[in-house]
Amino acid sequence: MNVISPQAAPPQASSKYDLGFARWVYANVEGGAKMSLCMQCGVCSGSCPLGDAEMDHGPRKLFMMVRAGMKDAVLGSTTIFNCTSCYNCVVRCPREVPVQYILQSLATKAVAEGYAEAVKTDNTRFSGAFNWSTAKFGRTDERLMTAKYYFSFGLIAAMKMSMANLKIALSMIKRKRMHLGAPHRIKGTGELRAILAKAAEIESSAGGGS
Amino acid sequence: MSDKGKIGVYLCGGCGIGEAVDLDGLEQVASGEFKAPVCKKHDYLCGEEGRKMISGDIASGDVDKAVIAACSPRVMSDKFQFGGAQTIRANLREQVVWSHPAGDEDTQMLACDQVRMAITQAVRVSPPEPWKEGDFSSKVLVVGGGFTGMTAAMETSRAGYEVVLVERADQLGGMMREGAKVLAETPPYRELRDTPITALIEEVEADGRISVITGATVAKTSGMPGKFEVELSKGGAETPAETPAETVGAIVVATGWRPYDAGKLGHLGYGASPDVVTGVELDEMLAAGPALRKSDGKAPKAVAFVLCAGSRDPEHLSYCSTVCCGASIRQALQLLQAEPETMTYIVFEELRTPGVAEEHYRAAQEAGVIFIKGKVSGVDSGGGAGLVVTVDDALLGEETPLGGLDMVVLATGMVPNSTNIDAPSPEMDEEKLSALSADIDPEAPISVAGYLQDASDDADDKEDAAKEDAGEGEAAPPTYPEGGSILNLQYRQGPHLPILADGFSDSHYICFPYETRRTGIYACGPLRRPMDLAESALDAAGAALKAIQAIHNVKEGRALHPRSGDLSYPKIGLEICTKCRRCTVECPFGAFDEDENDYPILNPTRCRRCGTCMGACPVRAISFDNYSVEMLTSMAKAVEIPDEMDEKPRILILACQNDAYPALDMAGAAGCQYSAHVRIIPVRCLGSVSILCASDALSAGYDGVILMGCKSGDDYQCHFVKGSALAGVRLSKIEETLKSMMLEKERVSSMEVAISDSASVGKMIDDFVAVIDEIGPNPFKGF
Repeated sequence: MNVISPQAAPPQASSKYDLGFARWVYANVEGGAKMSLCMQCGVCSGSCPLGDAEMDHGPRKLFMMVRAGMKDAVLGSTTIFNCTSCYNCVVRCPREVPVQYILQSLATKAVAEGYAEAVKTDNTRFSGAFNWSTAKFGRTDERLMTAKYYFSFGLIAAMKMSMANLKIALSMIKRKRMHLGAPHRIKGTGELRAILAKAAEIESSAGGGS
Repeated sequence: MSDKGKIGVYLCGGCGIGEAVDLDGLEQVASGEFKAPVCKKHDYLCGEEGRKMISGDIASGDVDKAVIAACSPRVMSDKFQFGGAQTIRANLREQVVWSHPAGDEDTQMLACDQVRMAITQAVRVSPPEPWKEGDFSSKVLVVGGGFTGMTAAMETSRAGYEVVLVERADQLGGMMREGAKVLAETPPYRELRDTPITALIEEVEADGRISVITGATVAKTSGMPGKFEVELSKGGAETPAETPAETVGAIVVATGWRPYDAGKLGHLGYGASPDVVTGVELDEMLAAGPALRKSDGKAPKAVAFVLCAGSRDPEHLSYCSTVCCGASIRQALQLLQAEPETMTYIVFEELRTPGVAEEHYRAAQEAGVIFIKGKVSGVDSGGGAGLVVTVDDALLGEETPLGGLDMVVLATGMVPNSTNIDAPSPEMDEEKLSALSADIDPEAPISVAGYLQDASDDADDKEDAAKEDAGEGEAAPPTYPEGGSILNLQYRQGPHLPILADGFSDSHYICFPYETRRTGIYACGPLRRPMDLAESALDAAGAALKAIQAIHNVKEGRALHPRSGDLSYPKIGLEICTKCRRCTVECPFGAFDEDENDYPILNPTRCRRCGTCMGACPVRAISFDNYSVEMLTSMAKAVEIPDEMDEKPRILILACQNDAYPALDMAGAAGCQYSAHVRIIPVRCLGSVSILCASDALSAGYDGVILMGCKSGDDYQCHFVKGSALAGVRLSKIEETLKSMMLEKERVSSMEVAISDSASVGKMIDDFVAVIDEIGPNPFKGF
């Protein structure tokens, strides 16, 4: 449809409803091609289990903001990071717009464009810790991942959070749900790294939206 | 007393009638009181045996008027149709035994009175003789050579009738341009198709039965359905080059629409920049080639469509034209087809996409059109940086300037061509204007000739009081849209077709499509209400069929819709006519003209047989063969009025056949019980009820009178436009008569009953009976 170079970074709109950003989203975001069918009925926002406290805009409004070219507000919104992937919106959308896919893909783009740092929601911090653990060890190490997540809040906050959850941690150790000592790793961490590197290479050359 | 005809009375005992009332008592009424030569009972009158019995009596010459005392006249009418005899029905089932307790004394009295009324009716009616004098034309005149008019012409021709097609412009086509695109009619509704107009023009021009006259308007239309005399004027008023005349049987008016004057839309930037255009102007560009900016001739890269430009706006057009949303979507698709990178925005308040337009809405979304919901607060030229449309964006929740636009398209609405705007408005007095434009307006005074003076006195008093209350200014006089008449009708009631609302020529959107309030003249297409191509095609076919139907019916002297097939027509006793003009003024269909001596002349095929003239006439000079004031009053007087001491009041209900009477039947069918003190006589329309019927009933000893008609006003349901409204005006005159008779004004009441009111009509009656009980018996009883 709208032929735009896949590598191109999302353009900044010169004015409201400059369609450059919207067209970039249509072409580069997973499910973006169906986004144009959104008729703003709001079933997605109405079905979303997260309320105003968790998302600064509902999915309906976020889509209109995409059309309006509000790139910074879209990629910097908590909406795309806080989505819990319950798929209520996807199931209920009368126009079969894959809302969750679009939010997820937008979040990936936001990370790539450096918007995630500024947003710093629980989800972005936790995702960071999760990615770190899985990429490094091939699995999640509860102790190190939690520690990384806590320390993303700063030293004092991390100490407080650790102390608050100490009882749970000890119970988990007792029941062998968490272990002390060296983290468990998968056997071929080298191969995993190669896979991840290849994936990154494919992504950067295809520009996502696959 | 029966000296008119041989009356046979047939009493049916079926459907529970025999168990609920004493048929022998009814037989006694027929044979004893009325000396009916034939009176027979049967348990199943509508069965083959029962009908054979009746037709046998008719065949042997014993009976020429069969009074069927059985079910409602609304049912079994085909079963009780006998050649060589008139059928009169007495409603014993729905309005006696189904709505009153069985075996009760009052129920029996009601049944006896039903038989008395029916026999009396039989005495007063004679078989109607149809009016079919002179020659009748089978030709159809179609006015308007656009898509709708040409489709109507083709439909008429295909049905085998000759057509005269008159078009004001020099060529056929109307608002549709060759080279234009229209919405797809077939799945998947994605590919716009070429206009059908080119092929249609060729088809019409090649059709042997259609004679096309372009560059002509209708100078004069006189006569009536079956014999309209139409004079055409070619080449304008200054050079009457030739004035061909045609005689036609029926007329289809398809003068279509014009866009709302964008010059009045300065607040949306029209006129401020050449690149603010209307949808119609954009279509002109698109039909001729690519759409280019008027200012610099360049292709626009960013275009905003502003929907509802001057529509649904009390300052401009108050209504929705239904097609502008779809047309703008089509234009956006056309722009994107020409240049996929064009930024196209459609700014709407409510998007209305009926029919196939909804699929095109999806197609436009897929193609990348951005739909913005919100009210446009302004369109500015933007000082060189492109046009700016400022929207109160409901979806973003903020005031949003939509900048950098190369072109703004205003989707203006449809204005009906109910007049020829190129010609001057004819002069008309207020009486005519009111009848043509305000008949159904609940606020407008109804023109009631003869009453007009004192009516306006009364109205003034009331109005003045109302004005003082509401602090309002002078009431606006009735108006008709500017411009000359399309048909220039040589009618007593003015040259125009009456309008319904917002200037559209129609009679009733839902119940009577295509019917104008001028018989034999049918409106179709956007003249009737805003509509798109597909709807206009259906409308054209509908109006063509109506016209053909009219041609056939009037030839046989049969009434047209809604009393289809009625052979009777009003006969005027000119020897007693006082030239009061009430019949000519009050006729809702302009059936009467006046001769040079001011006497009314009926044009029978224009008449729809409602009897409004009969109800209007103060000297009972107008009657039908089978319907008259005398018939109604005789029927009312045939009822036995019990003595004051019996404490059995009698209340006369004159019930409109169209809604009130069926509602009463349905109440009976549903088992609703109501007072047995009422006596119901069906009337053609409340408009046909003379004020004399009510005063006669009261002087005959009735304790109360109810006039039961249809809903009046804006959402009127009267089949004859203003019957119940007229009854209301006439009723306001009866108060003085009642005063002079020393009677309470509460004794006469009018009620508006819709067909859906069957559950509540019984209570309305009972409440009125309670009021009468309160007032006490009529002192005229027994005189």
